[in-house]
Amino acid sequence: MPTVNVEGHTLSLSNLDKVLYPAAGFTKGEVIDYYARIGAVLLAHCGDRFVTRKRYPDGVDSTPFFEKNCPSHRPDWVGTSPMEGASKGGAVTFCRIDSLASLMWVANLAALELHTSMARSADADTPTMVVFDLDPGEPADVVDCCEVALWLHHVFADLGLEAFAKTSGSKGLQVYVPLNTPVTHDEAAGFSHTLAQLLEQAHPDRVVSLQRKDLRVGRVLVDWSQNSRHKTTICAYSLRARPRPTVSTPITWEEVTACADSRSAASLVFDAGQVLDRVARLGDLFAPVLTLSQVLPSL
Amino acid sequence: MPRAIWSGSISFGLVNIPIRLYTAVSRKNVQFHQIDAKSGSRVRMQRVSSADGAEVPYENIVKGYELSPDHYVLVEPEELDALDPEATHTIEIEEFVDLADIDPVFYDSAYFVAPVKAAEKPYALLVRAMEEQQKVAIARFVMRTKQYLAALRPKDGALLVSTMVYADELVPRDEVGELDGVADIDVSDRELAMARQLIDSLATDFDPSRYHDDYREKVLELIERKASGEETVVAAAPAPDAGTVVDLMAALEASVREARESRSRHPAEGDAAKGASSKAPAKSAGSKASTKKAAGKKGSGEDEQPAAEQIA
Repeated sequence: MPTVNVEGHTLSLSNLDKVLYPAAGFTKGEVIDYYARIGAVLLAHCGDRFVTRKRYPDGVDSTPFFEKNCPSHRPDWVGTSPMEGASKGGAVTFCRIDSLASLMWVANLAALELHTSMARSADADTPTMVVFDLDPGEPADVVDCCEVALWLHHVFADLGLEAFAKTSGSKGLQVYVPLNTPVTHDEAAGFSHTLAQLLEQAHPDRVVSLQRKDLRVGRVLVDWSQNSRHKTTICAYSLRARPRPTVSTPITWEEVTACADSRSAASLVFDAGQVLDRVARLGDLFAPVLTLSQVLPSL
Repeated sequence: MPRAIWSGSISFGLVNIPIRLYTAVSRKNVQFHQIDAKSGSRVRMQRVSSADGAEVPYENIVKGYELSPDHYVLVEPEELDALDPEATHTIEIEEFVDLADIDPVFYDSAYFVAPVKAAEKPYALLVRAMEEQQKVAIARFVMRTKQYLAALRPKDGALLVSTMVYADELVPRDEVGELDGVADIDVSDRELAMARQLIDSLATDFDPSRYHDDYREKVLELIERKASGEETVVAAAPAPDAGTVVDLMAALEASVREARESRSRHPAEGDAAKGASSKAPAKSAGSKASTKKAAGKKGSGEDEQPAAEQIA
């Protein structure tokens, strides 16, 4: 159990050789190593948001547990941010994951997946972006999601909005419209709901806007309901608890188009090592989501 | 601030002081739930009849006092209600005694007595007078449906009330046979002097903060370790030595190198998974620490919800 120094804080890393991804032989040490190296870009996306941690202490095949509340046994250098009215009991106090040290701490607790809020923690009522979570129902896959994403991209172009895509790291794809201008969760949800319904009307055999699983078979759910104060969506650059250590990876529209054209689902699967290479080469493709100011149009 | 568990007034002579009671002791036990080891869900208790094993609805359950095996007197709740002591909401002081007169075996639970607004003056007066006289008040009061004997005593400028057991609730010492005749055993002066010396060498002022419930602390540590994904370990982990603090990336590099070498020694394991993502992978060896989430019930403390609902 090595004790390490991270930004002046001491932290004990435990069970580094424990395999958390059995099918890939990927260890907890490698998980922490990935988060240490991706921290520079990841922290910008989770540092000032509410983060739900999905922990897999016994690996990706075991039952995970969700943590929103920051435990009392946190080191005193891990900050917290309260979300008022988050649960029936009142405020939920989230851990702030805003430094390499706090990121290492949660990684050491096997928090493989970090899910973040649409709003910043300083202003929980104002989402800074709209997300369209494209979730394929088998036999549909990420190729179908790419087609739907391209339709959305068209609509956004007509509305004069820039949008950004990332893989979910699991089966689907997510399209984000940065706002960074005053807007409410209800307005963001209304906008995304309307667009989801329009797509469903235009392509009833390919798209559904309702959560029901039976409707989704062979179609893509355009899940607009993630645009809620109470929900969190997988953060860019977070690992996923899949058989292999895949990552929710920002991608270019050229890659989305290429995937739709080649119909190669495998072209949009990136694991931890590949994502580190991509970031070294391409930088943070998702950086504009944090800064680009766009006004939500009324539909 | 804790919640008052009782409110009423202290009454002695013609004086009446409105007060509230607050628990002075909070027991710190680690509470476990019963879990079905197979499914990880909570075990539910069911009341069943010993005659046929059928579930007995709550409204059909009555109290029975056993006279002899299988012979019971049944008592209805209403019959007991009628006997409840009248809740007078008064702590009636009956007498004042010396603290040393009360054997500690009588003490049961302790509560803080706090004055309500506008009663601070008579309260403070009573505390001050009892402190000066070094007296303890013996009182009676009714809490819930039980009548209590209690001792009120001043402590650090406040009043504490300790409920007391009744004299007939004490087990007579003759019931413990081994105690017979112990007091009559002869000991020599020399033996007594040695025993005295031993006692003197261990004599000190009592400092309760020196004592901790080690067992509870160990149980909590175990739970925390298991919850944070560590293997169960019996011995406590050695305290981190300041001299062995290493650089983060150096520690990780060593671990990552080891993992990659291990994979290259067993390439089949890793290769099999590539591209076959839907295949159910083998269970990780050595993942013994079980942190099962109860399937049915929401965990207390942490927010937990089903994956599909809240998280994309």
